[in-house]
Amino acid sequence: MMQIWMRLAGAACMVAGSSGLGFWLSGQYRERLRELEQLRQMIFLLKGQILYANATLEEGLEAVGRRTRGALAGLFLQAADRIAQQEGEPFCQIWKEAVGQLEQAGAGHALSRSDLAALAALGEHLGFLDRDMQERTLLLYLEQLDLQIQALREHRQERCRLYSSLGIMGGLFLTILLI
Amino acid sequence: MDKWDIFIRIFSKDIRTILKETAVDYDRVQEIRLRVQAPLLLIYGDQEFYLTSEGTLTTRRELAFQVTGQAIRETLEYIGSHSLYAFEEEIRQGFLTIQGGHRIGLAGKTILDERGIRTMKFISFLNVRLAHELRGCADGVIPYLYDQAGLCHTLLISPPRCGKTTLLRDLVRQISDGSEKAGAGTSRSVSRPGMTVGVVDERSEIGACYQGVPQNDLGIRTDILDCCPKALGMMMLIRSMSPQVVAVDEIGSREDLDAMEQVMNCGSRVLATVHGSSLEDIRRKPVLKTMLAERWFGRYVVLENKRSVGQVEGIYDSGGRRLFPGEAGV
Repeated sequence: MMQIWMRLAGAACMVAGSSGLGFWLSGQYRERLRELEQLRQMIFLLKGQILYANATLEEGLEAVGRRTRGALAGLFLQAADRIAQQEGEPFCQIWKEAVGQLEQAGAGHALSRSDLAALAALGEHLGFLDRDMQERTLLLYLEQLDLQIQALREHRQERCRLYSSLGIMGGLFLTILLI
Repeated sequence: MDKWDIFIRIFSKDIRTILKETAVDYDRVQEIRLRVQAPLLLIYGDQEFYLTSEGTLTTRRELAFQVTGQAIRETLEYIGSHSLYAFEEEIRQGFLTIQGGHRIGLAGKTILDERGIRTMKFISFLNVRLAHELRGCADGVIPYLYDQAGLCHTLLISPPRCGKTTLLRDLVRQISDGSEKAGAGTSRSVSRPGMTVGVVDERSEIGACYQGVPQNDLGIRTDILDCCPKALGMMMLIRSMSPQVVAVDEIGSREDLDAMEQVMNCGSRVLATVHGSSLEDIRRKPVLKTMLAERWFGRYVVLENKRSVGQVEGIYDSGGRRLFPGEAGV
Protein backbone atom coordinates (compact mmCIF):
# COMPACT_ATOMS: atom_id res chain seq x y z
CA MET A 1 0.00 0.00 0.00
CA MET A 2 2.78 2.29 1.03
CA GLN A 3 4.57 1.58 -2.24
CA ILE A 4 1.54 2.59 -4.29
CA TRP A 5 1.26 5.88 -2.43
CA MET A 6 4.95 6.50 -2.97
CA ARG A 7 4.57 5.83 -6.67
CA LEU A 8 1.56 8.08 -6.94
CA ALA A 9 3.39 10.86 -5.09
CA GLY A 10 6.43 10.46 -7.39
CA ALA A 11 4.21 10.53 -10.45
CA ALA A 12 2.45 13.66 -9.21
CA CYS A 13 5.82 15.33 -8.60
CA MET A 14 7.00 14.37 -12.07
CA VAL A 15 3.86 15.71 -13.75
CA ALA A 16 3.97 18.87 -11.66
CA GLY A 17 7.68 19.43 -12.38
CA SER A 18 7.36 18.77 -16.05
CA SER A 19 4.27 20.95 -16.33
CA GLY A 20 6.03 23.66 -14.36
CA LEU A 21 8.92 23.57 -16.80
CA GLY A 22 6.49 23.86 -19.69
CA PHE A 23 4.71 26.82 -18.11
CA TRP A 24 8.03 28.43 -17.25
CA LEU A 25 9.23 28.15 -20.86
CA SER A 26 5.94 29.56 -22.02
CA GLY A 27 6.30 32.44 -19.54
CA GLN A 28 9.87 33.08 -20.69
CA TYR A 29 8.66 33.31 -24.25
CA ARG A 30 6.07 35.91 -23.27
CA GLU A 31 8.60 37.74 -21.11
CA ARG A 32 11.15 37.84 -23.93
CA LEU A 33 8.52 39.34 -26.20
CA ARG A 34 7.61 41.92 -23.55
CA GLU A 35 11.25 42.85 -23.01
CA LEU A 36 11.91 43.23 -26.71
CA GLU A 37 8.87 45.50 -26.92
CA GLN A 38 10.19 47.49 -23.98
CA LEU A 39 13.62 47.68 -25.63
CA ARG A 40 12.01 48.98 -28.80
CA GLN A 41 10.28 51.68 -26.80
CA MET A 42 13.54 52.57 -25.07
CA ILE A 43 15.37 52.84 -28.38
CA PHE A 44 12.61 55.12 -29.65
CA LEU A 45 13.05 57.30 -26.56
CA LEU A 46 16.82 57.33 -27.06
CA LYS A 47 16.33 58.35 -30.66
CA GLY A 48 14.10 61.19 -29.48
CA GLN A 49 16.69 62.27 -26.94
CA ILE A 50 19.44 62.32 -29.55
CA LEU A 51 17.50 63.91 -32.40
CA TYR A 52 15.27 66.38 -30.61
CA ALA A 53 16.99 67.12 -27.31
CA ASN A 54 20.47 66.89 -28.89
CA ALA A 55 21.47 64.77 -25.91
CA THR A 56 24.85 63.09 -25.66
CA LEU A 57 24.82 59.31 -25.26
CA GLU A 58 25.39 59.74 -21.55
CA GLU A 59 22.44 62.11 -21.13
CA GLY A 60 20.20 60.11 -23.45
CA LEU A 61 20.92 56.73 -21.87
CA GLU A 62 20.46 58.14 -18.39
CA ALA A 63 17.20 59.90 -19.24
CA VAL A 64 15.74 56.75 -20.84
CA GLY A 65 17.07 54.50 -18.08
CA ARG A 66 15.37 56.64 -15.47
CA ARG A 67 12.05 56.55 -17.28
CA THR A 68 11.93 52.75 -17.46
CA ARG A 69 12.37 49.77 -15.17
CA GLY A 70 13.92 46.36 -15.14
CA ALA A 71 17.19 44.91 -16.33
CA LEU A 72 17.23 46.98 -19.52
CA ALA A 73 16.87 50.21 -17.56
CA GLY A 74 19.83 49.03 -15.47
CA LEU A 75 21.83 48.43 -18.65
CA PHE A 76 21.19 51.99 -19.90
CA LEU A 77 21.99 53.54 -16.51
CA GLN A 78 25.14 51.48 -16.14
CA ALA A 79 26.40 52.53 -19.58
CA ALA A 80 25.62 56.20 -18.81
CA ASP A 81 27.47 55.90 -15.51
CA ARG A 82 30.51 54.35 -17.18
CA ILE A 83 30.63 57.19 -19.73
CA ALA A 84 30.40 59.75 -16.91
CA GLN A 85 33.33 58.13 -15.11
CA GLN A 86 35.56 58.84 -18.14
CA GLU A 87 37.88 55.94 -17.52
CA GLY A 88 39.33 56.20 -20.99
CA GLU A 89 37.44 53.47 -22.81
CA PRO A 90 35.71 53.71 -26.18
CA PHE A 91 31.91 53.66 -26.12
CA CYS A 92 31.68 50.34 -27.98
CA GLN A 93 33.69 48.70 -25.19
CA ILE A 94 31.57 50.30 -22.46
CA TRP A 95 28.38 49.14 -24.15
CA LYS A 96 29.69 45.65 -24.91
CA GLU A 97 30.74 45.16 -21.30
CA ALA A 98 27.43 46.45 -19.99
CA VAL A 99 25.53 44.02 -22.26
CA GLY A 100 27.97 41.29 -21.22
CA GLN A 101 27.08 41.88 -17.57
CA LEU A 102 23.42 41.63 -18.47
CA GLU A 103 24.16 38.27 -20.04
CA GLN A 104 25.96 37.12 -16.92
CA ALA A 105 23.15 38.33 -14.67
CA GLY A 106 20.94 35.80 -16.49
CA ALA A 107 17.93 35.63 -14.22
CA GLY A 108 17.10 39.31 -14.50
CA HIS A 109 15.86 39.08 -18.06
CA ALA A 110 14.46 36.71 -20.63
CA LEU A 111 16.39 37.89 -23.69
CA SER A 112 18.12 35.25 -25.78
CA ARG A 113 21.81 35.19 -26.68
CA SER A 114 20.99 36.38 -30.20
CA ASP A 115 18.98 39.31 -28.77
CA LEU A 116 21.93 40.30 -26.59
CA ALA A 117 24.39 39.92 -29.48
CA ALA A 118 22.30 42.27 -31.61
CA LEU A 119 22.04 44.70 -28.70
CA ALA A 120 25.83 44.62 -28.18
CA ALA A 121 26.37 45.26 -31.90
CA LEU A 122 24.31 48.45 -31.61
CA GLY A 123 27.15 50.00 -29.60
CA GLU A 124 29.61 49.54 -32.47
CA HIS A 125 28.18 52.44 -34.42
CA LEU A 126 26.51 54.64 -31.81
CA GLY A 127 28.27 57.95 -31.23
CA PHE A 128 30.03 57.71 -34.59
CA LEU A 129 29.79 60.61 -37.05
CA ASP A 130 26.78 62.93 -37.12
CA ARG A 131 23.19 62.89 -35.95
CA ASP A 132 21.96 61.38 -39.23
CA MET A 133 24.26 58.45 -38.59
CA GLN A 134 22.83 58.01 -35.08
CA GLU A 135 19.32 58.05 -36.49
CA ARG A 136 20.16 55.49 -39.17
CA THR A 137 21.92 53.23 -36.69
CA LEU A 138 18.96 53.32 -34.33
CA LEU A 139 16.44 52.88 -37.15
CA LEU A 140 18.34 49.86 -38.45
CA TYR A 141 18.29 48.31 -35.00
CA LEU A 142 14.60 49.16 -34.59
CA GLU A 143 13.92 47.39 -37.87
CA GLN A 144 15.69 44.27 -36.60
CA LEU A 145 13.73 44.49 -33.37
CA ASP A 146 10.45 44.85 -35.25
CA LEU A 147 11.15 41.73 -37.29
CA GLN A 148 12.05 39.81 -34.16
CA ILE A 149 8.95 41.02 -32.31
CA GLN A 150 6.76 40.24 -35.29
CA ALA A 151 8.13 36.69 -35.52
CA LEU A 152 7.62 36.15 -31.79
CA ARG A 153 4.07 37.49 -31.90
CA GLU A 154 3.16 35.32 -34.86
CA HIS A 155 4.24 32.17 -33.06
CA ARG A 156 3.26 33.23 -29.55
CA GLN A 157 0.03 31.24 -29.25
CA GLU A 158 1.29 28.03 -30.79
CA ARG A 159 4.64 28.18 -28.96
CA CYS A 160 3.10 28.91 -25.58
CA ARG A 161 0.51 26.19 -26.07
CA LEU A 162 3.24 23.84 -27.26
CA TYR A 163 5.46 24.48 -24.23
CA SER A 164 2.57 24.07 -21.78
CA SER A 165 1.17 20.95 -23.49
CA LEU A 166 4.58 19.38 -23.90
CA GLY A 167 5.26 19.99 -20.25
CA ILE A 168 2.08 18.31 -19.08
CA MET A 169 2.10 15.56 -21.67
CA GLY A 170 5.78 14.89 -21.23
CA GLY A 171 5.24 14.52 -17.49
CA LEU A 172 2.35 12.14 -18.03
CA PHE A 173 4.27 10.14 -20.61
CA LEU A 174 7.26 9.75 -18.32
CA THR A 175 4.97 8.77 -15.46
CA ILE A 176 3.28 6.10 -17.51
CA LEU A 177 6.60 4.91 -18.81
CA LEU A 178 8.13 4.65 -15.37
CA ILE A 179 5.10 3.22 -13.58
CA MET B 1 39.72 63.52 -6.42
CA ASP B 2 40.92 67.09 -6.94
CA LYS B 3 40.03 69.48 -9.75
CA TRP B 4 43.13 68.59 -11.76
CA ASP B 5 42.39 64.87 -11.66
CA ILE B 6 38.84 65.48 -12.81
CA PHE B 7 39.93 67.86 -15.52
CA ILE B 8 42.57 65.58 -17.09
CA ARG B 9 39.99 62.88 -17.71
CA ILE B 10 39.18 64.57 -21.02
CA PHE B 11 42.55 63.53 -22.44
CA SER B 12 43.62 60.32 -24.13
CA LYS B 13 45.14 57.68 -21.89
CA ASP B 14 48.78 58.47 -22.72
CA ILE B 15 48.39 62.23 -22.20
CA ARG B 16 46.33 61.61 -19.09
CA THR B 17 49.16 59.53 -17.64
CA ILE B 18 51.62 62.35 -18.29
CA LEU B 19 49.37 65.04 -16.85
CA LYS B 20 48.68 62.90 -13.81
CA GLU B 21 52.40 62.98 -13.02
CA THR B 22 52.67 66.71 -13.66
CA ALA B 23 53.02 68.68 -10.46
CA VAL B 24 51.25 71.97 -11.16
CA ASP B 25 49.04 74.41 -9.34
CA TYR B 26 45.69 73.96 -11.10
CA ASP B 27 44.78 77.63 -10.72
CA ARG B 28 47.85 78.72 -12.66
CA VAL B 29 47.34 76.39 -15.63
CA GLN B 30 45.99 78.46 -18.48
CA GLU B 31 46.16 76.32 -21.60
CA ILE B 32 47.15 72.90 -22.84
CA ARG B 33 47.91 72.69 -26.54
CA LEU B 34 47.79 69.50 -28.58
CA ARG B 35 49.05 69.50 -32.14
CA VAL B 36 49.52 66.34 -34.13
CA GLN B 37 53.18 65.27 -34.36
CA ALA B 38 54.21 68.27 -32.30
CA PRO B 39 55.24 68.73 -28.66
CA LEU B 40 52.66 68.76 -25.90
CA LEU B 41 52.56 72.31 -24.58
CA LEU B 42 51.35 73.76 -21.31
CA ILE B 43 50.83 77.46 -20.66
CA TYR B 44 51.45 77.84 -16.98
CA GLY B 45 51.68 81.12 -15.09
CA ASP B 46 51.91 83.10 -18.36
CA GLN B 47 54.84 80.93 -19.51
CA GLU B 48 55.01 78.21 -22.13
CA PHE B 49 56.47 74.82 -21.21
CA TYR B 50 56.95 71.50 -22.98
CA LEU B 51 55.77 68.41 -21.17
CA THR B 52 58.01 65.36 -21.08
CA SER B 53 56.67 61.81 -21.08
CA GLU B 54 57.49 61.70 -17.36
CA GLY B 55 55.18 64.64 -16.76
CA THR B 56 57.80 67.25 -15.96
CA LEU B 57 57.80 70.77 -17.33
CA THR B 58 60.75 71.72 -19.49
CA THR B 59 61.85 74.41 -21.90
CA ARG B 60 63.95 71.93 -23.92
CA ARG B 61 62.08 70.89 -27.01
CA GLU B 62 64.01 67.67 -27.59
CA LEU B 63 62.66 66.28 -24.30
CA ALA B 64 59.03 67.02 -25.14
CA PHE B 65 56.38 64.35 -25.55
CA GLN B 66 55.09 64.19 -29.13
CA VAL B 67 51.32 64.19 -29.57
CA THR B 68 49.98 61.58 -32.01
CA GLY B 69 46.93 61.71 -34.24
CA GLN B 70 45.44 58.80 -32.28
CA ALA B 71 45.81 60.75 -29.02
CA ILE B 72 43.94 63.69 -30.52
CA ARG B 73 41.16 61.47 -31.87
CA GLU B 74 40.83 59.75 -28.51
CA THR B 75 40.82 63.07 -26.67
CA LEU B 76 38.08 64.35 -28.94
CA GLU B 77 36.00 61.28 -28.14
CA TYR B 78 36.24 61.96 -24.41
CA ILE B 79 35.71 65.71 -24.78
CA GLY B 80 32.49 64.96 -26.64
CA SER B 81 31.40 62.23 -24.19
CA HIS B 82 31.56 59.76 -27.10
CA SER B 83 28.88 61.90 -28.75
CA LEU B 84 30.53 64.37 -31.09
CA TYR B 85 27.29 64.41 -33.11
CA ALA B 86 25.77 66.48 -30.28
CA PHE B 87 28.41 69.18 -30.80
CA GLU B 88 27.94 69.67 -34.54
CA GLU B 89 27.14 73.35 -34.14
CA GLU B 90 30.08 73.91 -31.81
CA ILE B 91 32.46 72.08 -34.15
CA ARG B 92 31.20 74.26 -36.98
CA GLN B 93 32.11 77.29 -34.89
CA GLY B 94 35.51 75.83 -34.06
CA PHE B 95 35.21 75.36 -30.33
CA LEU B 96 33.23 73.57 -27.69
CA THR B 97 32.77 74.14 -24.00
CA ILE B 98 32.96 71.25 -21.58
CA GLN B 99 31.93 70.67 -17.98
CA GLY B 100 33.63 73.27 -15.82
CA GLY B 101 33.41 75.95 -18.51
CA HIS B 102 36.71 75.02 -20.12
CA ARG B 103 36.84 75.93 -23.78
CA ILE B 104 38.32 73.57 -26.36
CA GLY B 105 39.41 75.25 -29.59
CA LEU B 106 39.54 73.00 -32.66
CA ALA B 107 41.29 73.26 -35.98
CA GLY B 108 41.46 70.83 -38.86
CA LYS B 109 40.04 70.51 -42.35
CA THR B 110 36.74 72.31 -42.86
CA ILE B 111 33.97 70.82 -44.97
CA LEU B 112 31.93 73.44 -46.79
CA ASP B 113 28.43 73.44 -48.20
CA GLU B 114 26.30 76.16 -49.74
CA ARG B 115 25.58 77.67 -46.29
CA GLY B 116 29.21 77.87 -45.21
CA ILE B 117 31.16 75.54 -42.95
CA ARG B 118 29.28 72.25 -42.51
CA THR B 119 31.70 70.49 -40.24
CA MET B 120 35.37 69.88 -39.60
CA LYS B 121 37.30 66.68 -40.18
CA PHE B 122 40.89 65.61 -39.57
CA ILE B 123 40.86 67.68 -36.39
CA SER B 124 44.57 67.84 -35.59
CA PHE B 125 44.91 70.85 -33.32
CA LEU B 126 43.32 71.31 -29.93
CA ASN B 127 43.64 74.23 -27.57
CA VAL B 128 42.28 73.45 -24.13
CA ARG B 129 41.72 76.70 -22.27
CA LEU B 130 40.97 76.32 -18.60
CA ALA B 131 38.30 78.44 -17.02
CA HIS B 132 39.10 79.74 -13.56
CA GLU B 133 36.60 81.34 -11.30
CA LEU B 134 38.33 84.24 -9.55
CA ARG B 135 35.98 85.44 -6.84
CA GLY B 136 36.64 89.05 -5.99
CA CYS B 137 38.55 89.94 -9.17
CA ALA B 138 35.95 92.64 -9.89
CA ASP B 139 36.29 94.28 -6.46
CA GLY B 140 38.37 97.16 -7.78
CA VAL B 141 36.17 97.72 -10.82
CA ILE B 142 32.63 97.51 -9.52
CA PRO B 143 32.49 100.84 -7.59
CA TYR B 144 33.20 102.69 -10.85
CA LEU B 145 30.28 101.10 -12.67
CA TYR B 146 27.66 102.95 -10.63
CA ASP B 147 26.54 106.58 -10.88
CA GLN B 148 23.69 108.44 -9.16
CA ALA B 149 21.14 106.58 -11.29
CA GLY B 150 22.57 103.20 -10.35
CA LEU B 151 24.41 100.66 -12.48
CA CYS B 152 25.60 102.01 -15.84
CA HIS B 153 25.48 100.13 -19.13
CA THR B 154 28.99 98.69 -19.15
CA LEU B 155 31.22 97.34 -21.89
CA LEU B 156 34.34 95.34 -21.07
CA ILE B 157 36.93 95.71 -23.83
CA SER B 158 39.74 93.22 -23.89
CA PRO B 159 42.05 91.31 -26.23
CA PRO B 160 41.80 87.51 -26.06
CA ARG B 161 43.25 85.83 -22.95
CA CYS B 162 43.04 88.92 -20.76
CA GLY B 163 40.33 87.65 -18.47
CA LYS B 164 37.23 89.44 -19.68
CA THR B 165 34.96 86.46 -19.13
CA THR B 166 36.43 85.96 -15.67
CA LEU B 167 35.82 89.61 -14.84
CA LEU B 168 32.31 89.51 -16.31
CA ARG B 169 31.53 86.42 -14.23
CA ASP B 170 32.57 88.12 -11.00
CA LEU B 171 30.75 91.32 -11.90
CA VAL B 172 27.57 89.33 -12.50
CA ARG B 173 27.97 87.59 -9.15
CA GLN B 174 28.56 90.81 -7.24
CA ILE B 175 25.77 92.74 -8.99
CA SER B 176 23.39 89.85 -8.40
CA ASP B 177 24.27 89.38 -4.74
CA GLY B 178 24.57 93.09 -4.00
CA SER B 179 26.62 94.53 -1.20
CA GLU B 180 26.04 96.65 1.83
CA LYS B 181 29.50 98.13 1.90
CA ALA B 182 30.76 98.35 -1.66
CA GLY B 183 34.14 100.00 -1.92
CA ALA B 184 34.29 100.51 1.82
CA GLY B 185 36.91 103.03 2.87
CA THR B 186 36.88 104.79 -0.46
CA SER B 187 35.03 107.85 -1.73
CA ARG B 188 32.84 105.42 -3.65
CA SER B 189 31.59 103.68 -0.52
CA VAL B 190 27.95 102.90 -1.32
CA SER B 191 25.46 100.23 -0.57
CA ARG B 192 24.44 98.23 -3.62
CA PRO B 193 21.19 96.33 -3.50
CA GLY B 194 21.20 93.01 -5.33
CA MET B 195 19.77 93.09 -8.82
CA THR B 196 18.08 90.47 -10.98
CA VAL B 197 20.58 89.49 -13.64
CA GLY B 198 19.84 87.57 -16.82
CA VAL B 199 22.85 85.95 -18.44
CA VAL B 200 22.84 84.79 -22.04
CA ASP B 201 25.62 82.24 -21.94
CA GLU B 202 25.99 81.28 -25.59
CA ARG B 203 29.17 79.29 -25.06
CA SER B 204 28.51 78.04 -21.52
CA GLU B 205 31.60 79.86 -20.34
CA ILE B 206 30.10 82.29 -17.86
CA GLY B 207 28.02 79.95 -15.75
CA ALA B 208 29.58 76.71 -17.05
CA CYS B 209 26.21 75.01 -16.71
CA TYR B 210 26.25 71.24 -16.57
CA GLN B 211 22.86 69.68 -17.18
CA GLY B 212 21.29 73.04 -16.40
CA VAL B 213 23.11 73.64 -13.13
CA PRO B 214 25.70 76.46 -13.08
CA GLN B 215 29.12 75.27 -11.94
CA ASN B 216 30.28 78.82 -11.26
CA ASP B 217 28.71 81.10 -8.68
CA LEU B 218 26.83 83.80 -10.56
CA GLY B 219 24.89 85.14 -7.60
CA ILE B 220 21.56 84.45 -6.01
CA ARG B 221 19.48 86.61 -8.37
CA THR B 222 20.85 85.31 -11.65
CA ASP B 223 18.96 83.47 -14.36
CA ILE B 224 21.01 81.77 -17.07
CA LEU B 225 19.97 81.03 -20.61
CA ASP B 226 22.54 78.45 -21.57
CA CYS B 227 23.84 77.76 -25.09
CA CYS B 228 21.44 80.30 -26.58
CA PRO B 229 22.44 82.71 -29.36
CA LYS B 230 22.96 86.13 -27.79
CA ALA B 231 20.54 88.12 -29.93
CA LEU B 232 17.69 85.65 -29.42
CA GLY B 233 18.54 85.08 -25.77
CA MET B 234 18.52 88.73 -24.77
CA MET B 235 14.98 89.18 -26.06
CA MET B 236 13.83 85.91 -24.54
CA LEU B 237 15.14 86.97 -21.15
CA ILE B 238 13.47 90.38 -21.36
CA ARG B 239 10.14 88.75 -22.18
CA SER B 240 10.34 85.90 -19.74
CA MET B 241 12.50 86.81 -16.73
CA SER B 242 12.30 90.63 -16.57
CA PRO B 243 15.94 91.10 -15.60
CA GLN B 244 17.26 94.42 -14.32
CA VAL B 245 20.62 93.60 -15.85
CA VAL B 246 21.37 91.55 -18.96
CA ALA B 247 24.90 90.16 -19.28
CA VAL B 248 26.40 88.81 -22.51
CA ASP B 249 29.88 87.76 -23.55
CA GLU B 250 31.66 88.64 -26.78
CA ILE B 251 29.20 90.76 -28.72
CA GLY B 252 30.14 91.60 -32.26
CA SER B 253 27.42 91.09 -34.85
CA ARG B 254 24.77 93.52 -36.06
CA GLU B 255 22.09 91.24 -34.56
CA ASP B 256 23.77 91.42 -31.16
CA LEU B 257 23.75 95.21 -31.30
CA ASP B 258 20.10 95.37 -32.37
CA ALA B 259 19.10 93.10 -29.50
CA MET B 260 21.23 95.07 -27.03
CA GLU B 261 19.60 98.32 -28.15
CA GLN B 262 16.19 96.80 -27.53
CA VAL B 263 17.27 95.65 -24.08
CA MET B 264 18.45 99.16 -23.26
CA ASN B 265 15.16 100.58 -24.52
CA CYS B 266 13.31 98.19 -22.22
CA GLY B 267 15.00 99.78 -19.21
CA SER B 268 17.36 96.97 -18.38
CA ARG B 269 21.06 97.60 -17.87
CA VAL B 270 23.52 95.86 -20.18
CA LEU B 271 26.79 94.28 -19.16
CA ALA B 272 28.73 93.10 -22.21
CA THR B 273 32.20 92.17 -23.35
CA VAL B 274 33.87 92.69 -26.69
CA HIS B 275 37.21 91.82 -28.27
CA GLY B 276 39.39 94.88 -28.66
CA SER B 277 42.48 96.54 -27.30
CA SER B 278 41.21 100.07 -26.66
CA LEU B 279 38.33 102.46 -27.20
CA GLU B 280 40.06 103.61 -30.37
CA ASP B 281 40.17 100.03 -31.60
CA ILE B 282 36.40 99.69 -31.09
CA ARG B 283 35.86 103.01 -32.87
CA ARG B 284 37.56 101.55 -35.93
CA LYS B 285 35.26 98.51 -36.11
CA PRO B 286 32.43 99.08 -38.61
CA VAL B 287 29.66 97.43 -36.61
CA LEU B 288 30.72 98.47 -33.13
CA LYS B 289 31.62 102.12 -33.71
CA THR B 290 27.92 103.10 -33.58
CA MET B 291 27.79 102.14 -29.90
CA LEU B 292 30.55 104.58 -29.04
CA ALA B 293 29.37 107.35 -31.33
CA GLU B 294 25.87 107.21 -29.86
CA ARG B 295 27.15 106.75 -26.30
CA TRP B 296 25.20 103.59 -25.57
CA PHE B 297 27.42 102.68 -22.66
CA GLY B 298 28.00 104.65 -19.49
CA ARG B 299 31.22 102.83 -18.65
CA TYR B 300 34.02 101.18 -20.61
CA VAL B 301 36.43 98.89 -18.81
CA VAL B 302 39.56 98.22 -20.87
CA LEU B 303 41.72 95.22 -19.94
CA GLU B 304 45.29 94.49 -20.93
CA ASN B 305 47.89 91.80 -20.21
CA LYS B 306 51.10 93.80 -20.38
CA ARG B 307 51.96 93.29 -16.75
CA SER B 308 49.66 90.40 -15.88
CA VAL B 309 46.51 88.80 -17.17
CA GLY B 310 43.35 90.68 -16.25
CA GLN B 311 45.07 94.00 -15.59
CA VAL B 312 42.64 96.93 -15.89
CA GLU B 313 44.15 99.45 -18.27
CA GLY B 314 41.45 101.99 -17.57
CA ILE B 315 37.81 102.66 -16.83
CA TYR B 316 36.15 105.34 -18.93
CA ASP B 317 32.78 107.08 -18.91
CA SER B 318 30.45 107.46 -21.90
CA GLY B 319 32.44 110.42 -23.23
CA GLY B 320 35.76 108.55 -22.99
CA ARG B 321 36.91 110.40 -19.85
CA ARG B 322 39.20 108.23 -17.76
CA LEU B 323 37.78 107.49 -14.31
CA PHE B 324 40.41 104.95 -13.33
CA PRO B 325 43.32 105.07 -12.66
CA GLY B 326 42.56 108.81 -12.53
CA GLU B 327 44.67 110.18 -15.32
CA ALA B 328 43.79 112.40 -18.27
CA GLY B 329 41.15 111.24 -20.75
CA VAL B 330 41.87 109.17 -23.85
